[in-house]
Amino acid sequence: MEPVRYDDRQKIVRLSTEIVTARRKRNWRKYIYCGLLLFPLVALIFGFFVIPMLYILYLSFIETKGETNAFYSIGNYVHFFTDSYYLHSLWLTIKISLYTVVVSLLLGYPVALTMAKCSPRVRGLLTLLVASPLLISVVVRNFGWYLLLLPNGTVHQLLISLGITTSPPKLLFSEIGVVIGLSNAYLPFMILSIATSLYNIDPSLEKAAAILGAGPLRSFWSVTLPLSLPGIVSGVVLVFSMSMSAYVTPALMGGANVPMLPVVAYDQIINLLRWTYGSAISYILLGITLIMVTIFTRMMEKGRYREVFR
Amino acid sequence: MQTVVNDVEIRGVYKQIGKNVILNGIDLQVKQGELLTLLGPSGCGKTSTLNVIAGFLDIDKGEVFIKGKKVTHIPPYKRGLGMVFQTYSLFPHMTVYENLDFGLSLRKVPKEERKKRIEQALDLVKMVGLENRYPRQLSGGQRQRVAIARALVVQPMLLLLDEPLSNLDAKLRYELRAEIKRLQKEVGVTTIFVTHDQEEALSLSDRIVVMNKGIIEQVGTPTEIYEHPCTEFVFQFIGKSNQLEGKVKTVDGRMVCIELEEGVQVLVESKNMMGPERSYSIGDEVKLYIRPEKLTIQEQESEPEIFYYNKYNASIVQMNYLGSAWEIELLLFGKRVQVLQAFVKSDWKIGAEVTVGWNPSDMMIVKK
Repeated sequence: MEPVRYDDRQKIVRLSTEIVTARRKRNWRKYIYCGLLLFPLVALIFGFFVIPMLYILYLSFIETKGETNAFYSIGNYVHFFTDSYYLHSLWLTIKISLYTVVVSLLLGYPVALTMAKCSPRVRGLLTLLVASPLLISVVVRNFGWYLLLLPNGTVHQLLISLGITTSPPKLLFSEIGVVIGLSNAYLPFMILSIATSLYNIDPSLEKAAAILGAGPLRSFWSVTLPLSLPGIVSGVVLVFSMSMSAYVTPALMGGANVPMLPVVAYDQIINLLRWTYGSAISYILLGITLIMVTIFTRMMEKGRYREVFR
Repeated sequence: MQTVVNDVEIRGVYKQIGKNVILNGIDLQVKQGELLTLLGPSGCGKTSTLNVIAGFLDIDKGEVFIKGKKVTHIPPYKRGLGMVFQTYSLFPHMTVYENLDFGLSLRKVPKEERKKRIEQALDLVKMVGLENRYPRQLSGGQRQRVAIARALVVQPMLLLLDEPLSNLDAKLRYELRAEIKRLQKEVGVTTIFVTHDQEEALSLSDRIVVMNKGIIEQVGTPTEIYEHPCTEFVFQFIGKSNQLEGKVKTVDGRMVCIELEEGVQVLVESKNMMGPERSYSIGDEVKLYIRPEKLTIQEQESEPEIFYYNKYNASIVQMNYLGSAWEIELLLFGKRVQVLQAFVKSDWKIGAEVTVGWNPSDMMIVKK
């Protein structure tokens, strides 16, 4: 073996330490830059979202008795789950959100499928059309529906003149009205998330299914639908959680007849000035939405579909 | 009475998309049990022809017959074919077993038989034991094997392969190419193979169809295509070629004498004419083509062991070692000409004077 000369070794040792220090220095800088770039947003979220949320959580555990008496307890939560009015309101919120999800899924999937099948130019146009409801203010959009759905309004007259029914159902200030309003508002989210997952399906898969003997229906059922599941799941989760927390549409289209939880919480805080109880309702709404969304996604990502979601 | 059974017959197929004519009158017969390759540069219409047979491409004019049955307007899912795609196209949410089972369950094959046939098909492509894997858990080569098994398990009337090897690395491509050839002979299924790789086409096929710009240039066995190309395009597309230019000087039955420049003449066999026009008259401007491996370098002083009709002096310009052979570039009649030589002598160096010779039957001729 050839002996290593002294100065060679010196050089080697120095080289390796140089590399290490250089890398450490660069990382330090990178972190500083990242921190500086993120700081404004982090500060904003922390100051105006995280702290108020924690404050509301704190409030929700305060029970008030009379004018001045306040103490820590879980009484607000107990009250919610023992009063049938609030339980009914919770059930109503979940029911209407699920209806909205089903309606927007059934109406949205064919649109998404069309977007995935058509030429890039038509696709661009369709995307614009689909997103167009988002360009109008929620209030303006709801008042538009208001005019259409009024008792003896346009839709009613149309139903009667077409001879479909003589006594049309109540559309405004009813669950139907809220579902119509919410579906209209959140359909773009459903369509765009399904379409995105449909774009990612290799078009030759459908060809492979066809050559193996699957007609269009079978090919859709066995190949396209399962592979679009990630889009369906994200669309359902988006629409469901947005419907659960919607305030303007239920307030305008449902009024007092459809007391969904956000409306009830608003009422408690703004009109009845029961801040602590309103806070508890908000947290119950948040918790139930999170639990339902988690259970749903866990269920969907089981078994063979785990492969699809990777 | 028909003596040859044609599994596929295409007559006068014409297809236009927008202003582009994609297929311009394709006539093609595929014999029972043969492996036919559609070869050509990208955009020549080879994949479109395959899609016409599969039923994915609706044609404007013409007729398509499979096993004597007219299928021109029958959708792909009623044609009973098998197909392998460039991108494997395995269903990602199904295991290997389920992928193979997909076509069988649609054909309402009883469950017991399905299991037996899937086992056989996997055995054929050497993929036994991987039934419960998902496609994502397989390598590229394994995926393509499964795709081939999936196409074969339904016992298709035809096997269509759309550039199945072009997504694989070189070594795997070579391996799977041999595998496909073995499988095809073993199963005996009539196969149509699309590729842009001429080596693949030459080594695999019973017959090759060379396509260009929506028309068929030539149909023939690999040796016919390589040794006796019908058109200039086929000669240039397949293999390497040297080009010379000249004028017809004399024509005598078997041989044509071409004058390249003042006092330099070469002989070409008159039957080696390519292109639509097959007659010569004296004074015609022509192009001459010869492949590098048909040229032979001899030492200047040595006695000619083989008698070449065409023998000229040339100087070596460049020598490239390819491992299995030497690629030598010569300056011949003031033009650069490539020669493929299995051996070199030690005194062949850049600048050395050598004699190059070739047989008149190896040179192809086409009118300008």
